[in-house]
Amino acid sequence: MKNTKEPFIHITRREGLPLWKGLLIRAAAVLIALILSDIVISAAAPRSQGFFGFFGALFSGAFGTERRIWLLFQNTFLLLGVAVALVVAFKMKFWNLGGNGQILMGCLACAICLKYLGGKLPDPLVWLIMLVTSLAAGALWAVIPAIFKAFFNTNESLFTLMMNYIAMYLVAFFISFWYPGGTGAMPPLTEGVLPPLGEGQMGKSLLPVLLFAVVTAAIYLYLRFSKHGYEVALIGDSKNTARYAGINVRKVIIRTLLLSGALCGLVGFVLTGSINRMVSTTMDGNMGFTGIMVAWMGNLDPLIMAGIAFFINFLTRGMAQVCTEFGFTSEALSDTVIGLVYFFFIGCEFFIRYRVHFAGRQKKQPGEETPASPEDGGQEQAPLPEDAGAKEAN
Amino acid sequence: MLTFLTSAIEFGVIFLFGCVGEILTEKSGHLNLGIPGIMCMGAAGGCLGVKLCYLASPAPSAFLVVLMGILFAMLFAAALGAVYGFLTVSLRSNQNVTGLACTIFGVGFTSFFLNNAVLSEGVSTQLSQAGLHFFNHPLPGADSLGWFGTLFLDHGILVYLAIVIAVIAAVVLRYTKAGLSLRAVGESPATADAVGINVTGYKYTAILLGAAIAGLGGLCYVMDYMGGIVGSTVDQTIQGIGWLCIALVIFAMWKPAFAILGSIVFGALYILSSYIQGISFEQIPLLNIVPFAVTILVLIATSIVGHREMQPPASLGLSYFREDR
Repeated sequence: MKNTKEPFIHITRREGLPLWKGLLIRAAAVLIALILSDIVISAAAPRSQGFFGFFGALFSGAFGTERRIWLLFQNTFLLLGVAVALVVAFKMKFWNLGGNGQILMGCLACAICLKYLGGKLPDPLVWLIMLVTSLAAGALWAVIPAIFKAFFNTNESLFTLMMNYIAMYLVAFFISFWYPGGTGAMPPLTEGVLPPLGEGQMGKSLLPVLLFAVVTAAIYLYLRFSKHGYEVALIGDSKNTARYAGINVRKVIIRTLLLSGALCGLVGFVLTGSINRMVSTTMDGNMGFTGIMVAWMGNLDPLIMAGIAFFINFLTRGMAQVCTEFGFTSEALSDTVIGLVYFFFIGCEFFIRYRVHFAGRQKKQPGEETPASPEDGGQEQAPLPEDAGAKEAN
Repeated sequence: MLTFLTSAIEFGVIFLFGCVGEILTEKSGHLNLGIPGIMCMGAAGGCLGVKLCYLASPAPSAFLVVLMGILFAMLFAAALGAVYGFLTVSLRSNQNVTGLACTIFGVGFTSFFLNNAVLSEGVSTQLSQAGLHFFNHPLPGADSLGWFGTLFLDHGILVYLAIVIAVIAAVVLRYTKAGLSLRAVGESPATADAVGINVTGYKYTAILLGAAIAGLGGLCYVMDYMGGIVGSTVDQTIQGIGWLCIALVIFAMWKPAFAILGSIVFGALYILSSYIQGISFEQIPLLNIVPFAVTILVLIATSIVGHREMQPPASLGLSYFREDR
């Protein structure tokens, strides 16, 4: 014990933090991210509306009119649907980063049915064929990487990422094949599409809201109470244990990814068959990636995920309004702000899992800190003493 | 054929920057899925650096413009790399999730930043002047040495920089003590820690350097390959390139020297659709699939062969907490 120099920061694992404290830390992190964005945006905007104007615009963009509220709910449940689809695979520690492609394939399959069958067969029959082909197309796009993962342990995250681009270019091909010499945009189709369930925006939004509420509940029950769900969780914990318990790991991987992809295909079915009635290369709205963030931030718990999906869509729609009111020409600002929220949310997780002790103080830290300027972190590291006695600092 | 090869090299180095950057990062045990976002940041920073030069004087020197472009590209990219590093090294967050967040942020920020802060009246002509005349300035002898000159000398400075960086990275990783230590950190941080290697320091250095190098890839795409023309979908294109860079790491078997060849092959595949004669407009998207499909084949092939030399660093993707033992 020659080393008497105590490191400035000492970290220990923390167990059993009360739920409300965890929520408080997360809320504080998100709030700091938003206030930070507000300050930067208000300072840089061509037509700044002031500090509180930012939050005003955020809320009016999300809740301003009845139409906006319905759109918010529609997008929330679509995103929740994608996130739930990905959770199915995540429970197994299978990184399905191909949500975008699986959604697009669902859209494409649906559009092909509409294009060739719409108006030629009775509508309910077209809907049924649309549904089945969309599910199949999404499932196909997920099961190809799954098969190679199951048999050769091929890197699934990169495989699924590449499948996204193949799906995107396939969509581009079909659009330019159907409308040669066009602008690459497809006009909405009219025949064979799913009818709205009611008047106005509510009628259009009701289907995704109801459908994905049911799907989420069903998947929750499936993962929590069915034998399949148990097998998935066991493989996620340890493949060897699962194999030892007599589970056919390959079969379960393939079966689970069929389900995961089919659910993404279902989102595509709703997007093309009901909401947009056409297909475009960006119709997935990057929900495959956002869904991963939702699933992870929601701790794979459907109820928390619903809250997070709601919050992210609140930000997306709110930021669109902020862009208009503050005079920005690019809507990509919302991705920047949401990205910042992700960073703070990911960072604050540290203060939930670990406790930070500062030298010379015995008081426990309530985890109010959120990641300071990241560059500071980098600079602090270099001159740290390397003695084996010193505890790893930060 | 000659122009095809020349273009393949020019496009390939974009992959090379991203790939070498990711190799360095992965050698420290960190899988950075934020590379697409980081490359975008490089493009944004590079454009800003060039714009600043023109703000300072109406006719800046070529050397200054190129230097500022490179400097700002590395700075912007390293900033996002620092966020990734802080979250994954110090705060021990999940690397995949953090990386995706970096990509979402970086792509969004670049699109926003280019449209709202960089591109104003007259800037696009300045950017394309810088791209065409400064960044793309060929070496002496490019015109007089026939096919040799066209193939090897008729490139902008960034092309040579990429190859130099790749060679340096290969030598450092293979033959120096620092490289050995870095590999040790990626294979088994606990062991490296026990022999007195500064694990955190090596991880940060590798991530920051890797990000800065990858950022040059974004700069290279905008300034060298596109000749300073900043299109509206530049962020989406670079994102696609970034994912390919990450996949290319597997193809190169975590060796920067192999990455040079792999990058040029991928560069050739990527630009294939513009060089095949007699295809119709509708068929172009199908040819665009080729690099992504080939990547999948490579992934499958390497996983089936499963050679000992082709394995990723053993602790890739795992966070290291000293007190966990």
